Amino acid sequence: MLRKIMLAATTALLSIGPVMAADDLLTASWDDVIAQAKQEGELNWYVWYFQPEFREQVRVFEDLYGIKVNVPDVTSGDDVKNKLLAEAGREVGDIDVIALGGDAANTIDVTKVFYGPILPVLPEAGALTDKINGGDGQGYAVAYWGNQTGMAYDSNRVDVATLPQTLDELAAWIDANPGQLGFNYEKGGSGPSFIHNIARNILGIAPDAVIDAVPDLAPVWDWFNAREDKFVITGSNADSLTRLNSGEFLMVPAWEDMLFSLQTKNEVGSQIKLYVPDWGMNGGGNIVAIPANAPNKAAALLFVSWLTSADTQTAFNQRFGTAPANSNADSSKALVSAAERANTRLWTMPINSNDVVPAFIENVVQD
Amino acid sequence: MSAKILQRLLVAVLVAVMLVWLIVPFAMAILWSMVDPSTAWTYPDLLPPKLSFERWWIMWQTTSLPTAILNSYSLAPIAALLTALLAAPTAFAFGRLDFPGKGLAQILILVPLVMPGFVVAIFFASILLQMGFFARYPAILFGHVILYLPYAVRILSVSFGQVRTDVVNAARDLGASPWQVFRVAYLPVLRPGIFAAFLVVFILSLEEFALAFVVGSPDFTTIPTILYSYLGYNFIRPNAAVVALILVVPNVLLMLGLERLLQSANPASVSGKG
Amino acid sequence: MRRTLFVLLLLAPGLGLVLAFVSLVLYVAVSQSFGLYNLGGDSVFSLAHWQAMLGERRYWRALQYSAYIAVTASLLAVALAYPVALLLRKPFRGSLTLSALIKAPLLVPGLVAAFLFVNVISYHGIVNQLMLSLGLWDAPVRLQNDKNGYGVILLQVWKQLPFAFLLLSAAVQALPDAVLLAARDLGAGPLDRFRKVVLPLTAGAMQAALVLIFIGAAGDFSFQAVAGPPSVDSLATLMTSVQSTQGDWNGAAVVAVTLMALSLFGSAALAILVRGATRLARG
Repeated sequence: MLRKIMLAATTALLSIGPVMAADDLLTASWDDVIAQAKQEGELNWYVWYFQPEFREQVRVFEDLYGIKVNVPDVTSGDDVKNKLLAEAGREVGDIDVIALGGDAANTIDVTKVFYGPILPVLPEAGALTDKINGGDGQGYAVAYWGNQTGMAYDSNRVDVATLPQTLDELAAWIDANPGQLGFNYEKGGSGPSFIHNIARNILGIAPDAVIDAVPDLAPVWDWFNAREDKFVITGSNADSLTRLNSGEFLMVPAWEDMLFSLQTKNEVGSQIKLYVPDWGMNGGGNIVAIPANAPNKAAALLFVSWLTSADTQTAFNQRFGTAPANSNADSSKALVSAAERANTRLWTMPINSNDVVPAFIENVVQD
Repeated sequence: MSAKILQRLLVAVLVAVMLVWLIVPFAMAILWSMVDPSTAWTYPDLLPPKLSFERWWIMWQTTSLPTAILNSYSLAPIAALLTALLAAPTAFAFGRLDFPGKGLAQILILVPLVMPGFVVAIFFASILLQMGFFARYPAILFGHVILYLPYAVRILSVSFGQVRTDVVNAARDLGASPWQVFRVAYLPVLRPGIFAAFLVVFILSLEEFALAFVVGSPDFTTIPTILYSYLGYNFIRPNAAVVALILVVPNVLLMLGLERLLQSANPASVSGKG
Repeated sequence: MRRTLFVLLLLAPGLGLVLAFVSLVLYVAVSQSFGLYNLGGDSVFSLAHWQAMLGERRYWRALQYSAYIAVTASLLAVALAYPVALLLRKPFRGSLTLSALIKAPLLVPGLVAAFLFVNVISYHGIVNQLMLSLGLWDAPVRLQNDKNGYGVILLQVWKQLPFAFLLLSAAVQALPDAVLLAARDLGAGPLDRFRKVVLPLTAGAMQAALVLIFIGAAGDFSFQAVAGPPSVDSLATLMTSVQSTQGDWNGAAVVAVTLMALSLFGSAALAILVRGATRLARG
């Protein structure tokens, strides 16, 4: 009962209050947006990874506009999304700008939860996109981060010529190097990308195939279970790379941007290299959006425009090795060659990784 | 005689083992925390190629360590104070009054001790969500007060029980006001108990993880939650070492100091019953 | 009547608050496991959440694993604490240092202990390097996140030993010297004295220690998250993952009720069993 009253009250408030000011902002001149943003003076950016690095990057924005950017440490991406949804009924929330995986746009009612559409308002709109990672932001969410998973290996101890490129070669490599492959199934997507693509290869499904139902996954579990003594399950993206760096593994799935960033700070040695095998590894990216109940909408809008600008995207490419989300940005820095990029695959097609990974936990990890 | 030598030997071995068990891990953590950001410590190097405190400085500047420390060290004393205040009436009843059901009441107060922390945390969070209550700081504070009331009640009950009725009566007979009676007959005996209750709750609140992690999710940081973030999901060994050391060293020093204070404030020596 | 009111008033801010809070939390957890009192969506009484969870292998494995960790850790901690408490019954040179070292884990947060531990036993960590250089092992051994949860048990015992030690040493110190001396005069050896005198007289403290450690270990999250086997959840990590990753409060409530049942009945059963065993040992 109490909840219903609260809900009714907050939805009522939501429908009158902030929406008025919101419309003004979307039609105002960009100079007015900047002026109002400066008046607001600060904003909270919720992003679930690289917070220490981002705190360094946003200083450029802070110096440019005199607007403070708070980047809170958050427990996980799922928790941020839960907070966004749980607090959607609040009149004024805590989040000004939220980062999410691109596919989240499909599971959230973007037109209700987010403020916008913001994409057409952004000065560099023509060079930006709202479709990434299999999700469609419908103008309410904008891509700001392009990334790729691959296989990281210790180049001191693995000969490039022997790197497995196909499923059969991988099977042979695992037999020849038992205990030298590690991957995670939770706390980060690098391992799930590996599981997802190996599963697709085992099932013999081409990357561009069209499938209407999830096929029988039993052959996948058989393949993994037959080799369960020869690979190691790790705790997270970071755990895989940490243990590769300290010599425990020869090969682990990893994010290109994560490895690049760790190497810039020498948290991982330069002998660790990355390739995208012919069997394919997922690529995609992340989006930012402004919650409908954001307390500092003008500052948020200005920040999104800065984040997606060609300059910032070029800087991110140089610092993190990301794929720029602005078509005018420079993308010369990366760990992976252009030729290997052709092996990039989608998280959602032709089978959705969400149909594979939880079942993998049940049938391989728990088995 | 030989039994005595054997015992001494046993003790020496025990002490040595426990020292190694404490010193080696901390030494390794210090080594990892001092890996200079300009060169990586990676296989097969046995020792880091270059040592410096650079990483400490970077971590302090780019993580929310300062916020976490501020949150934890402000929550702890407020929770301790509130807990001691709220516990006092119940402790008075337990320590100085007889009433039917007292035994049961004394057991019931201990219930939070046997509740799994994460169960309390998750469903307290659920209640807060249903109430539409979003302020995390007061919510966590409230949670800590409730969780640690049993400790304060237990400690203060003992203290109240040690107050001597003859002193109370004598003060009354001499025409003392209630406040004077409290000051003369109660306060001297209660003081070490109050102090002990305060310290115990302070330390427990400082270390509490489940409630701060779940109710504070995703962005309210305390010392334990930031530790979890850097030791779990974002585990990068040298950075984890820095965070662990920055947070643990003052903790250990503080608690060693507190324990000493606690020992000097022996209830028996003050109550005159020793 | 006035007196009753007075006592109730006194109890209200302490005991009253605690009971109100705990019963509210319990009420919400139990109702949500049956689909009542829902966040979002309709609240309808249903056994579907129990059915769904009971059908998952992950759930059963977590229950089994948490029970195993709790039983092993509490028994080991108590078994180790007994000799130390007896050893330290009378002060001697070095006894203060030893008892301080035993209490040291109270000062180190569990998460930090887990990190330090994982760091030391990592694949090329100091333990492996030592064993290699001593020639005891031919190749590094993968000790981290071991399948049987030995790392977690070790950490649990290390962290919980002080509690067992404090409880048992209070009981052991309360043993009258006369009784122990009399037993010795009657020709009872150390083991006999322990079995027939010490154990029966300190059984209450031992049961309390068992129950407290069992409940702490059954609800463990941090050790499992950092040092536990990655292929299995503890009930607490499963509960948070169900609630946070899948956003399923009802499923989390099912796990919560399970965890509370395990804590309550598991610890009671263990305490009764061990009590029975000590009776038998007495002969």
